[in-house]
Amino acid sequence: MKFASQKVAYWFFASAMLLFVLQLVYGFIMGFAHIGMDGLHEWIPFNTARAVHTNLLVFWLLLGFMGAAYFIIPDEADCELFSVKLAYVQLIAFLAVGVTAIVGYHFNIWEGRKFLEIPRPLDYLVVVDVLLFLANIGLTVMRGKRYTTTSIVLYMGLLFAALLYLPGMISFDNQTMDSFYRWWVVHLWVEGVWELIMGGILCYLLIKLTGVDREVVEKWLYIIVGLTFLSGILGTGHHYYYIGTPRYWLIVGGIFSALEPLAFLGMAIYALAMAKKGGRKHPNKIALTWSLGCAIMACVGAGFLGIAHTIPQVNMFTHGTLVTAMHGHLAFWGAYAMIVLAIMAYAMPLLTGRKLWDSPLATWAFWTSNIGMSAMTGAFAVAGITQVNLERRMGLDFLAVQHEIEMHFIGLLLAASLFTVGIGCFIWNFLRHGLPTDEALGADIEAS
Amino acid sequence: MLSKSQAKVFFLGGTGLFSAAFLALTVDTHRKVPAQTRQADITPAVARGKRIWEHNNCMGCHTLFGEGAYYAPELTKAVERRGKPWLRMFLKDPAAMFPNDRKMVNYHFNDGQIDDVIAFLDWCGHVDLNGFPAKPPLAEKMKATSAAPVVTMKPIPPIFDTMACTGCHSIGGKGGAAGVALGAPPLDEVYKRKSKAEIATWISDPQKIKPDTKMPKLPLSPAQVTEIADFLSSLGN
Repeated sequence: MKFASQKVAYWFFASAMLLFVLQLVYGFIMGFAHIGMDGLHEWIPFNTARAVHTNLLVFWLLLGFMGAAYFIIPDEADCELFSVKLAYVQLIAFLAVGVTAIVGYHFNIWEGRKFLEIPRPLDYLVVVDVLLFLANIGLTVMRGKRYTTTSIVLYMGLLFAALLYLPGMISFDNQTMDSFYRWWVVHLWVEGVWELIMGGILCYLLIKLTGVDREVVEKWLYIIVGLTFLSGILGTGHHYYYIGTPRYWLIVGGIFSALEPLAFLGMAIYALAMAKKGGRKHPNKIALTWSLGCAIMACVGAGFLGIAHTIPQVNMFTHGTLVTAMHGHLAFWGAYAMIVLAIMAYAMPLLTGRKLWDSPLATWAFWTSNIGMSAMTGAFAVAGITQVNLERRMGLDFLAVQHEIEMHFIGLLLAASLFTVGIGCFIWNFLRHGLPTDEALGADIEAS
Repeated sequence: MLSKSQAKVFFLGGTGLFSAAFLALTVDTHRKVPAQTRQADITPAVARGKRIWEHNNCMGCHTLFGEGAYYAPELTKAVERRGKPWLRMFLKDPAAMFPNDRKMVNYHFNDGQIDDVIAFLDWCGHVDLNGFPAKPPLAEKMKATSAAPVVTMKPIPPIFDTMACTGCHSIGGKGGAAGVALGAPPLDEVYKRKSKAEIATWISDPQKIKPDTKMPKLPLSPAQVTEIADFLSSLGN
């Protein structure tokens, strides 16, 4: 690493990994409940497990994005972070808010709106915390006076993510309008500004790992994020098909959702083309593997599995079934979890000075987790399609169908175990790097 | 070939244009939603029901308008599907209604809160959702192949609805939607299998006779037990 202040990124990454492990635990609780093993029902009913599972995902991804920004921005701006102390304060405050929210869920304290369950007072604290983060990063960029496209795109992504959190706090007595604005947060995050963040991080990794000229990589970054917004903004319409909003959203959402895979396909082609073009070989191959894997899995999970059920005629039957869980799992894994793991795989050797990229453990982590997640997606797909046919098309009762698809949840649990082994390998490798140290300063490993 | 500044213009211009289009559609949606959702029917009870819905994170298991989690049934048409008496009894003690099956938390709602939740769900059921949820397209074809239901000629006493028997069991060819999954038999010919006394013992406490049964123990008074047993056994006459 170039600057001592980048070390703070380590603590964001480590916290993210801790919350990730906890997220997996709650995932298993839900999986077992689906096969009738709901022994924890009295203490952790399904709605608690579900809120904890999804909120932990958001928390750890945001921690990962913040860590990535604290690592990337000083490097790009070519100066020390504005304030390391502020970064630590902001990390501890963010963790405190997250943990409070999650503990609260176990005592039936929440706002109860899917993905935005955290109670209102904590919402304000999240906003304050994110503002502190943005100030810290923004002042660093300004101090460095080196404005690169990568850092601007990353910063804009983070800024708009903060702004778009606000519409979710408007409340309505009308469930339809409530839902309408809830998607402004959820959809415009994951299929909009988070892709700026992902694109920014991916761009940085490609510049570092492939050695392709910055101008070329950044030009294509504009095109890709341009395509994302072109399709993603009006693509919000696929959430407005059947919630009581006007019928034209079926057409608008249908057309623009069909374009969404193109942005993801563009992203995958972009990453692969840059990797092929790069003449120089960077020794940290596993970081490049995660980066390319991220672009490809995002294309499959978010892009193609997305369009598989955003066609309005299909969505009429798949809306509100396990088919959504199929798409959701691979999309979040591919687009967001993998980009965070990619930047960690790149940054850890630089932060600690330990070059563990050749470790078989690192390779195992990549393949086992990806095969595990693909198998989980398959299990959700079979369960979801069976549910659609039996319940939505033949009209059988909900619970009868749930008992019919229980065996697919056994498959899901097995696949999830494989996935967990992969994540275990990743974390073990993470821990083997040890703590960040000033001795690693200046030991930048450029593509050679 | 595109230069970097042209690429930047494409990004900024495209984003600006499509954001503007999105905002314009949002304004129009605001204008049309009140009529489409019958906003005028949102009574204080409906609004209170919505807050109960949120404060207990019902979406953490159920879907509403197809949104939520996939552990428990879609509730948009719950009032139409189950009827208010059934829902009222269910919300009093959810696990008791589905013994030995998937559990719902008992929130210990009072009668007023139950009415509010039902009012909210009832309002939801009348929102124009552009055709969602669709009628199951294969259900009609399947029905054509199954035997015609037995039709009892006698008028059914109201207790069968008020105590929600018809939520799970069909009688006279009506009701029974909730019981298909549970194997709840039609009640028209129970008299052929059970005596009046046996019926009375069974409905007083089903689990005492068959611990793994899915039939709940309903809060029936002795007089109601007698009324039901009398009627069911009278169908043989």
